[in-house]
Amino acid sequence: MKVEITINGRPVAGEVDERTLLLEFVRDVAGLTGARNGCLEARCGCCSVLLDGQVVKSCNVLAAQADGREVETVEGLATGDTTTIEDPTTEGSVGTYVPLSARGVDEGSLHPLQQAFHERGALQCGYCTAGMLLTLKEFLARVPDPTEAEVREALRGNLCRCTGYQSIVDAALLAAERMRG
Amino acid sequence: MSVAADRATGESLIGRSLPRREDLALLTGTAVFVDDMRPAGLLHARILRSPHAHARIRRIDLEPARRLPGVVDVFCGADVERSVEPWGDLTQDILTGDRIAFARDKAVYQGQEVAVAVAETKWQAEDAIEAIEVDYEPLEPLVDPEQAMQPDAPVIQDGVDYEGGVGNAYDASYRIRVGDFEFARDEADVVVRARFTTGCSGAAALEPHACLADYNPSSGKLTFHSATQMVHPLRDGLSKALHLPRTQVRVVAPFVGGGFGSKGDVFPWEVITAVASIRTGRPVRCVLSRREVFETVPGRGRQVRYAELAMRADGTITAYGERVIFACGGVSAWGNQILRIGTQIGMLPYAIPNIHVDGFAVHTNTGPAGPVRGFGVPEAIFAKEQLVDMAATELGLDPVEVRLRNVLHGDDCPTVTPLGQRVDSTSIDRCLERAAEAIDRSEAEDVGVGFAVCMKYTSARHPSLDSDLASVRIVLETDGTVSVFSGDSPHGQGHGTTVAQVVADALGVGVEKVRVTSSDTETCPFSLGTWGSRGGAILGTAARMAAERVRAKLIELAAHILETAPEELEVAEDRVRFVGMPGTGLFIQNLVLLAAYATHQLPEGFEPGPIQAQATYDTPTERERSDGTGNLSPTYSAAAHAARVEVDRETGRWRVLDYVMAHDTGVIINPLIVEGQHQGAFLHGYAMVFGEEVRWGEDGAVANAGFKEYFAPSAADLPSLHPTIEVPAPSTVIPGGQKGAGESATAPVAATIANALQAATGVRFCSLPIMPDDVKRALVESERRGAPIVYPRDMPDYDGPTEWPEPEEFDDLELID
Ligand code: FES
Ligand code: FES
Repeated sequence: MKVEITINGRPVAGEVDERTLLLEFVRDVAGLTGARNGCLEARCGCCSVLLDGQVVKSCNVLAAQADGREVETVEGLATGDTTTIEDPTTEGSVGTYVPLSARGVDEGSLHPLQQAFHERGALQCGYCTAGMLLTLKEFLARVPDPTEAEVREALRGNLCRCTGYQSIVDAALLAAERMRG
Repeated sequence: MSVAADRATGESLIGRSLPRREDLALLTGTAVFVDDMRPAGLLHARILRSPHAHARIRRIDLEPARRLPGVVDVFCGADVERSVEPWGDLTQDILTGDRIAFARDKAVYQGQEVAVAVAETKWQAEDAIEAIEVDYEPLEPLVDPEQAMQPDAPVIQDGVDYEGGVGNAYDASYRIRVGDFEFARDEADVVVRARFTTGCSGAAALEPHACLADYNPSSGKLTFHSATQMVHPLRDGLSKALHLPRTQVRVVAPFVGGGFGSKGDVFPWEVITAVASIRTGRPVRCVLSRREVFETVPGRGRQVRYAELAMRADGTITAYGERVIFACGGVSAWGNQILRIGTQIGMLPYAIPNIHVDGFAVHTNTGPAGPVRGFGVPEAIFAKEQLVDMAATELGLDPVEVRLRNVLHGDDCPTVTPLGQRVDSTSIDRCLERAAEAIDRSEAEDVGVGFAVCMKYTSARHPSLDSDLASVRIVLETDGTVSVFSGDSPHGQGHGTTVAQVVADALGVGVEKVRVTSSDTETCPFSLGTWGSRGGAILGTAARMAAERVRAKLIELAAHILETAPEELEVAEDRVRFVGMPGTGLFIQNLVLLAAYATHQLPEGFEPGPIQAQATYDTPTERERSDGTGNLSPTYSAAAHAARVEVDRETGRWRVLDYVMAHDTGVIINPLIVEGQHQGAFLHGYAMVFGEEVRWGEDGAVANAGFKEYFAPSAADLPSLHPTIEVPAPSTVIPGGQKGAGESATAPVAATIANALQAATGVRFCSLPIMPDDVKRALVESERRGAPIVYPRDMPDYDGPTEWPEPEEFDDLELID
């Protein structure tokens, strides 16, 4: 069947099997691999995206259900140029670093949540990060001045195995403060 | 971040919380993990796994699968019998012979590999494995390690001969014999004992295990991407299993989504995927499902410890005895290493003069046990630190005072414990004082405060692996930038930042100039990988050594050009300059250019070409001796934890009101990263108590192979954490003073919380995890008996460390649910 979804403001159309998950559509049809498979059982939150502004676990939604709707992924968060940094098929990539300024990206082009995650060390392996960012983006839009407990509750559906969560919670509170201005 | 500018002030980069250089790609979703790679012609592999925990395989019929659309290849153990050999014997003395690609005649745990289908799409591969017909003859599964040790138990690995093994106890040879245990115990004023069990919590890294094999038929070269913690040992293991020269195998780890120990091995699916690519001549990817991860990726493995501790009336610990039984699953993996290292290091931070340990690594029909954050130390601490409290209670002593009396003291270091551990420096005594000060010890109803202390090795010389090294190569480029090829395989630890800090510091260049490449066997020198809290100290030392070698060359060259003595020169501000004189001397870039493009200007004997150096740091550690003694670790980090816990008697739920961590991590290169390591390590300790446990039913089937039933804590389940109290006692063995950071905050958590629960309820909880139902049952049972109990089992009188009685079972019927 034909499915067309507007992803980060860009319409993406594809001919897909009707069993195709939204996660697979985003990754394999749109080629945006920032949403990740951590369980495919709607538990870990690594695949979280915004569907018409609401957080969904994209492994729990069929692409067909998102037909004609708007999806935002982590790739849509930053406003500047954030093209892929390296090609891991030609070299080991962990630790590869290009200063933001050298790539024409200044730190201001990151979303305040991305910036706060960076400053507070709120990611280690980074596998959970995209889902965390999108869940928090939606949450802070609803609750701009949350308590720590509210942030923790909002993240109930997003697992992180690396950070112990404190740095993520701290980054969320910092970003919230900055976003309130 | 203008770190280069800051460098002009001469300030060190060590100890600076640089935000990580790895972050941008991860924050913007552009980082590439194995599952994100999109090579042309990619095929997908799905593995058929045994549904039985223990079964003879009588017949496998692959034909129905071969006929399905999109299927390119289907094969099983019989097809690769001659081309793939068992692995696991790359290292000395490691138990071998049971690490195989596919179960052949017999499957020994649920989820063991039986066959594989390779197809154009994942769905086609999935359909294909469903079409494979296997005729199993189920055998009686052995799930309980103590039952598996019974003399009449059928032997699970009946075709393999293990040196030092007895029946299913494939390693029955572990002993610690220090001092005169029996005498010390008889002399003691109090002896306490209990049977402790710890559950099989999994690492549950969020990226499921994944690999992508790309064999080029014309060159005969295999390029293998894997979510691994150790590219070089994996390259060597794969090459050996597949009979390929190591020049023909390149292993690369792209971004890796966490490991915590569970990605440090050569796994059957990796070998199978490589074979599939060789057979089809096309790239093949295998990504495990979450269910497969829970079934087949090593978790901690269940441990049973019959433990006893003897104390004098003044609180001095005089003896410790243990009989440890470790359920290692159907294959041997790392089990006996965890038993040995975990138990030995677990005796710290005390210098116990008399120790008697018998340890058994036992095969069971469960998934393999392997390293998960802490490598057996948290399990050992869970028992020992509760026994310390039990003895203190009997003697009417304060748990903090008792520990202060027994822990190693920083002032006495370096010191060698009776177990042979040479502790170069420590602040565990001060950590404990600081933790006790920081926690609220006031009394309140249903609230208790608990403490525990530990030391943790900083990397280690494994009994099976007489090596504890890391390597780094540094090349100065002709524009003055610095390429670093780092041997270890990070997967969240931030080596790209930490190693860059070390190198930039030693070379006097801005950290932006340094670019770190890791996790590629083709470009990076041989290292053992990233595990055991070794990055900062071991890899960091190799980086520093390589940088110092490069620096010596730069200074030699500059001294020649500037016609001065090398002692007059130093590196700073991207230059070699006169000591203490900013703006003088030569830019490093110019020196590198000379060596490359103006070789007539080089001093005599100076090797033209790229200025580079490689260094390997192998720790000055000992091998384990037959009595269990030895200094396995170059230095020891330490932690003292304190918890204030509240129990709801109605629901049995417990809640951590406050948690304090005081640590000795030596010299810290990047505090932001190390704090993240502590907090993440805390999660894995907390998870052991909170409910993480892979559970096998009596039939050997995994009862909770998904995040729905497996209780991985969320942000809402974890307490808020204060910044760790760091009390640095710099290592005097590691040249930069670093100590391991990754696991010291895992080890004491379960004991700390259990001690706090005991203080709150009077019940001694001896089994992990501690679920609300356990608390409820224990409180009911306590009330019924009119006295606090040990839960879940009471230990009657006994006769010595080798003669343990059967524990007394509660009568379940008397308990209300
Ligand atoms: S992959 Fe969707 S919630 Fe885990
Ligand atoms: S950063 Fe690794 S899972 Fe969250």
